[in-house]
Formats: sequence, structure tokens, C-alpha cells
Amino acid sequence: MNEKQPFLTVRDLSYRYEDGTLALENVNLTLDDGDFVALIGQNGSGKTTLSKCLNGLFKPTEGTVMVDELDTRKTSITKMAVRVGYIFQNPDHQLFNGSVWEEIAYGPKNIELPEEETRERVEEAARVVGLDPETFEKPPFFLPKGIRQRVAIASILALRPRIIIVDEPTTGQDRRQALEIMNFLVRLHEERDHIIVFITHDMPIVSQYAKRIVLMGEGHVLADGPTAEVFAQPDKLEETFVEPPQITQLAQAVEDLGFDPGTLLVEEMVERYRELKG
Amino acid sequence: MTTAVRFENYSWRYSRTKEQALKEINLEIEEGLLVGVIGPNGSGKTTLAYSMNGLIPNQYNGIRKGSVKIYDEEVTEMDQAQLCQQVGLVFSDPEAQFTAMTVEDEVVFGMENMGLTYQEIEERLDWVVPLTDIEELMEKPPYEVSGGQKQRVALASVLSMRPPVLMLDEPTSMLDPIGRRRIFDVLGRLKREYQSTIIIVEHSLENLIPLADLMVLVYEGEVLLVDETEPFFQKLDYLMEHHIYPPGVLEFFHHLKKSGDYPEASALPESVGEGEKQLRRLLENKA
Repeated sequence: MNEKQPFLTVRDLSYRYEDGTLALENVNLTLDDGDFVALIGQNGSGKTTLSKCLNGLFKPTEGTVMVDELDTRKTSITKMAVRVGYIFQNPDHQLFNGSVWEEIAYGPKNIELPEEETRERVEEAARVVGLDPETFEKPPFFLPKGIRQRVAIASILALRPRIIIVDEPTTGQDRRQALEIMNFLVRLHEERDHIIVFITHDMPIVSQYAKRIVLMGEGHVLADGPTAEVFAQPDKLEETFVEPPQITQLAQAVEDLGFDPGTLLVEEMVERYRELKG
Repeated sequence: MTTAVRFENYSWRYSRTKEQALKEINLEIEEGLLVGVIGPNGSGKTTLAYSMNGLIPNQYNGIRKGSVKIYDEEVTEMDQAQLCQQVGLVFSDPEAQFTAMTVEDEVVFGMENMGLTYQEIEERLDWVVPLTDIEELMEKPPYEVSGGQKQRVALASVLSMRPPVLMLDEPTSMLDPIGRRRIFDVLGRLKREYQSTIIIVEHSLENLIPLADLMVLVYEGEVLLVDETEPFFQKLDYLMEHHIYPPGVLEFFHHLKKSGDYPEASALPESVGEGEKQLRRLLENKA
């Protein structure tokens, strides 16, 4: 009976909003070390509601969410915040302090860390996201959006949550900026062992970065598995208004010629073409 | 051919910045074309859009040089009401344009301001509401509907004014892939059935490429490349050097071309269907 539990376990979770809308129904899910997950599905499929159940902001209507052996229904938001961090799509929904320093220190102070440790954590978080200490005294609102986003991320990192959920990190970014953000999440994952969950509609980003996909549709988990496996199920994707990236669609259209329907990257496709061409 | 939009030696510098946001732009857009404007963030795409509907210079301080004409009339010579009817702008952040308490009022607002008759408004609603698929939302407050729905409401409220030039600034940034395709379906119908001139600033190229007649690359305040869509994307190395990432099918065939597996003179396929056809030809020829 000493088997290690996953860090996070969702069991038979349903969530109903006050107006009666059933946003999640019978969701089962685990998250553990090594996970780098894309949470995808059409607008309104329950992705954001699920995220807010994972960090305890929403309590299950039915079922349970266990994080680090704590039941979210019986655990304070503060205790949850040091375990599951949620980064808003729009950094301005999250920033409210008078200076960058205060913004990042807000979480550590709130969990009543001693001043010395608060300082260490702020400096560390700022370093990880590449914030110049010169910005510490500035009000966050007047900084460029890219910097505001870093401040928002740093303020979450300062709490050192094992799981970091990022809501649409690449929306409104051009491709170069999107890759920078994703590479940053990879570094957090690889060098600091964070479990990453990102919500997105950008399927090429999913195929390039996610190890695993959780596919949501109308409040249900429609598929959950390795990225290539989920993308190889076009019917399930269509159910929730998602389609695989173009290169995967091409591979699926010519599967009969010997291409792998789970092809994720252009390079894989080129390589397979060369093999087939002989 | 009638020219809908003409930039001549046009430059703009915002008063708070040192660098010009747009430098010596020369660009002509013929009536009835669907034009894709692409380039990294900060390259001047939105400034270009605002320069067409008068938000620049009317709402921003700065230094303007050269000229921007809509149907041969200088933008600075027209009043804002006239301009809004000439050039409809759909913002990337739809909330920036919402003012009303219900979606229906939001869509009707522009038409009322144009002084349209009740009957005309009804007729246009019957056209635009199903076109943008917002029937279900009409009674709701616009700020309470989802991101994708907001973008469709914003589009409907601008379309209903039937501007001869429609300008969309990243109209699908918040949408799921199929919602994105639906917006592009609407734009395709507008182009085919109403010969509207449509200019779209967009990062997501998969849907844009099959519809666009003309492509414009804006980079660091300059228009670096203007061409018809097909020859434009044949210059893929150049585009990638300027941080434009093509959709997978195009990139795949670009690789094949470079390695000599795909004929140098042939156009690169732009859609999954076309890619499939070419790939079958290449591999079945071998057998």
C-alpha cells in the first residue's frame, strides 16, 4: 500500500456554476513529475474551469481534487497557491501592486515567509524570468507587455508551486515571441522540475512542445495521452472543434503511402519522405 | 481597376518615440482584393491599419509625412464619420470597441449612427447575424460572451455598416482552430459575393494563404515585400529570415525543393489537399 500517489489526482470531478451551467462532468486526470501537458479544446469546453479547480480556486461540485495529498475542498487558497500556480492570459488581470518588487513579493509575504527568504525568492524569481533589477521600483503597469508578462510569471514562481498552469501563453504573440515563451517554460520544466500545463489553440506549438495532450470537449476529457497519439484521432479532435497541425493532416492524408498519422514535425515528414523515396 | 487604398511616401512617427513607426511607405491596394499584412509584432502593422481609418493622426500625436488616400481622397481631408463608413476597422481586442449593453444594440449602434432607416437596419441584421453566427447571443451583454464570440460580434458590428474597405487587426487571435476557420469563411464569402476590399493583419497563415490575393511583409516600419500570394511565398527563405513561419505543408515542400526533390519551377502547394496531390505524384512516379 506504499505506492506513491501522483502529485495531483482528479477523481470524478463535476463543476456546476451558480447559474446552473454544468461546466465539467466526470473528469478524471492525474498530473505528476515529468508532465508537460497541453490542455486543448474549443472555446467553452471547460479548460479554464478545470484549471481553476486544479488550483483550488473553484471547489468541486462533485468528486475530488487531491493535490500533494491535500483535498482542495478542505485546503486554504494560500496552501494551494504554493502547490499550483496559475498564470493569467492577460498579465494585467493579475498585476495590482505599486511596484514590480511588491508584485513579486506579494505571494511570499502572504504566506508569511520571513523577510530574508522573501527577498531571496523575489530575486531568484526575477533572475529566472530575466527581469532587470532596475525595474524593481517601477510600477508594473507602465512597462511593456512582454515585461509585464515576466513580472506576472515571476510573482507566481516566487511561491515555488510544483505545477504551473499557463493560460494561452502565446496568444497575441508573433511566432518568435511564442517560441521564446515556450522555450522558457521548457527551461522551468527541465531545470527546475516544474510540471507544466498550458492552455492553447495553437496546434503547431502543441506538436512542437507538449509531451501529452488533454483534450476537452463540452466539459469532458475526450482524450488524454501522448501528443502524437491524440493527434492521430481526428474524429475526437473534430468533436471539440480542433484540428491537428497542417503537417499532421498531410501525413494522415497520405498514410497509405507509408507516412505516420502521428507525425508532429516538418522534419519528421521530410525524413520519412526520404526513406520512402529510397 | 480602381485603387481603394494608396500610400505614397508615407511616414509616421509617434511623438513619444525616436524612431519612425512607418518609413516611406508606398503601397497600392486595388478594389476587391483580399490582402494579408504580416510581420513580427512591433513592425508597424497596426500603425498601418490606424493610418487608413484616420485614428492616426486624429487620435494620436506624431509627425506625419506623405499621403494616405482612400478612393483618391486624402484621409486627413475627410471627417471621422465619413472615414468610419469608408474603412471599417475590427480591432484585435474586441472589447476595445464595445459600448452597448446587449449584443444586438452593439451591432445596431453603427447603423443607427449612419442614419439608416429602421427597415434598412432590419435587412442588414438579417444578413449579418446569420453570416457571423451570433443569433444566440443577441440578448447578452457583449462583454459576457466568450472571446471567440466577442470577435464575431465585433466583426458583425463593423460589417453591418458595409464599409467598402474592411480592415481587420488579428481578428482570430482568441479563437479555436475551427472558430478561426469560420471567420475566414465569412471573409471569403464577403470577398466572393460582395467584392469587398479586405485587409487582414494576421499571424496565423494557414487560413489566410488560400484566401489572400496579395501579401505584404512589414518589417521594422518598412514594407519589404509586396506580391501576389503564390510568388510571395516562393520566397520562403527571405520570409523566414524576417521571422515569418510558414504553415507546415508549405515548409515541407520548401525543404523538398531545396534538396532537389521538388521541381524548382513548380509552385509550392499551400493547402493539405494540394500537398497530398503533389506528394502522391512524387512518390507514385517512383513506383
